[in-house]
Amino acid sequence: MITRDAATPASGQLSVGEMLLAHGIGRRGFIKFCTAAASAMALPPWMGAAMAEQLRNAARPSVVYLSFQECTGCFESFTRSFAPTIENLIFNVISLDYDDTLMAAAGDAAEAALASAMRDHFGNYVVVVDGSIPTGAGGAYCTAGGRSAVDTLREAAKGASAIICVGTCSSFGGIPFADPNPTGAWPVTAIVGGVPIINVSGCPPIPEVITGTLLQLVSTGQIPDLDEHRRPKAFFGNTIHDRCYRRPFFDAGKFAKTFDDEGARNGWCLYELGCKGPTTFNACATLKWNGGTSFPIESGHGCLGCSEPGFWDKGSFYSAESTPQWGKAGEATPKQVVELAGITAGVGAVLGTASAGVSRLRQASRQKAAEHEHQGDE
Amino acid sequence: MDLLSFARGPALKVALAVFCAGVVWRIAAFALLRIRRDLNRPRNSLFKYLGAGLYTIGTRSWPHPEFIRRTGAGEALGYSYHMGLFVVVLLFAPHIAFLGSLFGITWPGLPNSVITVIAVISLTLFLAVLFRRVTSPVIRMLSNFDDYFSWFITMLVMVTGLAATAQIGARYSTLVAVHILSVDVLLLWFPFGKLMHAFYIFPSRAINGAILARKGAAS
Amino acid sequence: MSDVAVEGLPAQARVAGAMQGFSREIGALSAFRLESCIHCGICADACHYYVATEDPQYTPIWKVEPFKQAYKREASAFAPLFRLFGFKRAVSAEQLEHWQHLLFDSCNLCGRCSLICPMGIDVAALIEQARHAMFDAGLAPKELYDKAAHQRATGQPEASAEPYRDQLIAIGVRFDVRIPLDESDVDVMLCIPRTDIDHYPGAVAALARVMSHLGVSCTFRSDGLIAENYGYYAGGREWQRDISLRLIDTAIACKAKTLIVPECGHAYAALRWEAADLYGKPLPFKVLAVTEFLAQELGAGRLRLGNATTGPTTFQDPCQLSRTGGVTEAPRALMKAMGVDLQEMRNNGSFSYCCGGGGGVVDIERAAPLRYRTMEIKLREIDDTGANTFLTTCSDCRRTFDDAQRHFSWDKSPESLLELVAKNLIDAGAGR
Ligand code: SF4
Ligand code: SF4
Ligand code: SF4
Repeated sequence: MITRDAATPASGQLSVGEMLLAHGIGRRGFIKFCTAAASAMALPPWMGAAMAEQLRNAARPSVVYLSFQECTGCFESFTRSFAPTIENLIFNVISLDYDDTLMAAAGDAAEAALASAMRDHFGNYVVVVDGSIPTGAGGAYCTAGGRSAVDTLREAAKGASAIICVGTCSSFGGIPFADPNPTGAWPVTAIVGGVPIINVSGCPPIPEVITGTLLQLVSTGQIPDLDEHRRPKAFFGNTIHDRCYRRPFFDAGKFAKTFDDEGARNGWCLYELGCKGPTTFNACATLKWNGGTSFPIESGHGCLGCSEPGFWDKGSFYSAESTPQWGKAGEATPKQVVELAGITAGVGAVLGTASAGVSRLRQASRQKAAEHEHQGDE
Repeated sequence: MDLLSFARGPALKVALAVFCAGVVWRIAAFALLRIRRDLNRPRNSLFKYLGAGLYTIGTRSWPHPEFIRRTGAGEALGYSYHMGLFVVVLLFAPHIAFLGSLFGITWPGLPNSVITVIAVISLTLFLAVLFRRVTSPVIRMLSNFDDYFSWFITMLVMVTGLAATAQIGARYSTLVAVHILSVDVLLLWFPFGKLMHAFYIFPSRAINGAILARKGAAS
Repeated sequence: MSDVAVEGLPAQARVAGAMQGFSREIGALSAFRLESCIHCGICADACHYYVATEDPQYTPIWKVEPFKQAYKREASAFAPLFRLFGFKRAVSAEQLEHWQHLLFDSCNLCGRCSLICPMGIDVAALIEQARHAMFDAGLAPKELYDKAAHQRATGQPEASAEPYRDQLIAIGVRFDVRIPLDESDVDVMLCIPRTDIDHYPGAVAALARVMSHLGVSCTFRSDGLIAENYGYYAGGREWQRDISLRLIDTAIACKAKTLIVPECGHAYAALRWEAADLYGKPLPFKVLAVTEFLAQELGAGRLRLGNATTGPTTFQDPCQLSRTGGVTEAPRALMKAMGVDLQEMRNNGSFSYCCGGGGGVVDIERAAPLRYRTMEIKLREIDDTGANTFLTTCSDCRRTFDDAQRHFSWDKSPESLLELVAKNLIDAGAGR
């Protein structure tokens, strides 16, 4: 839980409202933004105004953005929030004290900024993490300023009021975590505890989901409602399949069988082409991407299930959800099935022959016993 | 590994392995017992009585007219839920995808709405079957753990399947996982219980029918 | 335990005997039958014992329940598991004694249940097999056991006031027909149910008359005469064999090419469908039911029959001849040739209900009350035909119906089809 202190301006600091005014953003504009953000989070519209009010008077909370074993895709996504002003706003709403991608400082100066943010706002700053944390080789796979990601994260977590994991790597391990996981990568939840952790998964997550979650956290000071994977229910409450516009075709049993067949051209359901929509919780089907332009299924490709734990190890992206997936090898091929059936049937045949043999032996010995008895009778 | 991956991954693999081994084991264990040659002169030629045996597969699917009054309703109940089950198992698109990936062939399915209706009907009939089992003195007396457990596990598969399609009770991935898990349990149980009748029914009709026809008797 | 044949046998030994006997006989076929049952209970609806009483214990497959249990424990694929975990309780002595009632008193081995089972299981065959085990356990009903023992030792189930040979000669005199006796080098050997000699001598005479009319070279043999086989009823496999062997050896001795089994259902079943297995090789002669033989002669034009004036007539198919023996058309062909106005019962031919006496049941005294109850179905069906003549072609059926006539003061008595044929013979030459 974020303490209320975090949102009260300390002396000498500008409140968010003052800051915004300095940037030429009036009260009205800010409420508009907050309402948009609230609606994206499926919060009632009045929450937008309340958030705006809250934020205007709050000090900008300190946020440190830690990038570990990642591709920067999540950050790229983060910076592409739909309304052009939003990134601006976000950076005005928060005080982004450390981010090795964006910050002008480098080397010791950058590390010093991190250290001072953690010291000055101990107990009150928010940590955003993207990338998984490699533990192999003593953490040597990912270091900055001579310190391993594990150590940095552990330290940063100590004084954090909350951690937001942006992207599937920090949330669930993501691609680095996938078999065979050469770097010994782990998600944040496996490394640190004792601090609220919010997973904003996705590879990458939808920009508005990142900003929305952050905004809600800093504005309300409350950890939003989370699902069992610690994802905000506001964005991860439904599956893609629940909200997919191709759903009527699914229900009617109309499926595209290849990416260029009649069904595909008619926009039929992509289930049989491996769409993971039915088991994937994310907001793609509603918020969509690029400012609501489109999302993968709309452009003809099934959902990859990128916001789900272990998505990289769940077999082929192109085999239907209901198909058998035999471990990491992916979809079971008919050949494998025949092999399995053949081998096990062979085992069964041996066992069965043995059983029959035993029964026959028992029968024979009984027969003998009976004959013996018979002879005794005569 | 999440539940779904487990259910359709290692669990399914183990279940299929036990299924194949168990079925062959169980069949071999009795089929390799002594087969006594019938030395009595047949009334009919081999060709004729084997043909009659095959014919019995069809004719025994429905009671002889003499028996209909007493057993027609019961048999109709039994056959209809079986048929409902087959339609759902074989013609529901996700099932086709499942079977298709196992066997390498696919076929057209039915719309989900139709499948759902049939599934609900079969489920109701299946409940009626249990009702009959516990209320009919004859069937209750004959029933043992196997009968109830086999019923239960089949019911579980039906209920979880329906819940998954209708998305009630839990999230889809969990429901599908539980559905597939219940199928795994069904496969595991299959060789040990009465579900084996799926393999027995036609050969049993044919063999017993042929033996009767060998004597020129009705089958 | 006065009804138990082998007295003084300790319970344990009895159970062990039954189980050993049963598992000894289990082959692939019977195992398959036991495996296949789905406990649907449908077979109950074929069995007159259940239909008449609605008592679930008379469900056919339930009659072999202890043996199904034994099979699972002893011989099935997972028998070791079953034994290890005690999934199936071992069969108890009390259970077996109760099952004596189910296997003997309330089953005619009529085979009707074998036609209804949706799994195709020949339930009656299983029951017959279970009887063998009961016999091994010393649990055959006393009446059947004693008659079987007597027949095995002497060739006839009971001592007769006069030797049957003399009785046959007397019948020849009384009915004025030549009884061929103890000849050799014949085409056909005849045997005869002792029920016919004791109760229906007319049938014996009819057989002799028809044969001589047809000019068949044939003979009765006093060293192999009695058609019945109480070993079959009691379930004593070895005894059944010994009893059959007497007829087989005699038939071979007199060089017969055909053994004709007269009007006796179970004798036909025992000789036609079981004897060769017990003998160990195919029989060197044909076995024919008398109606079968006559229908053949009819078809070949050697037998000509005049019109019988029987009025509306119904016909009782003996189970072992028709349903399980395949002789369903022959008697009808004969009746048709005699212009009989046949009024079939509701359940006829292969689906006919058993008279209730088959399988040795008519000999078991304590089974009588239940037998009467089940017979009501049959009697009603007969009455419903509106026929006033009632034919059959099995001496046990006749005995059972005659008994019922006394018991119920019923107005009908079954007549022998063979006797009717004998009465309506037309000289083959006469028509030309
Ligand atoms: S395309 Fe995917 S998400 Fe859309 S309905 Fe089909 S399976 Fe569901
Ligand atoms: S053989 Fe006949 S009497 Fe015996 S159980 Fe079957 S139907 Fe009933
Ligand atoms: S009808 Fe067949 S399957 Fe059904 S209970 Fe009887 S023997 Fe078993």
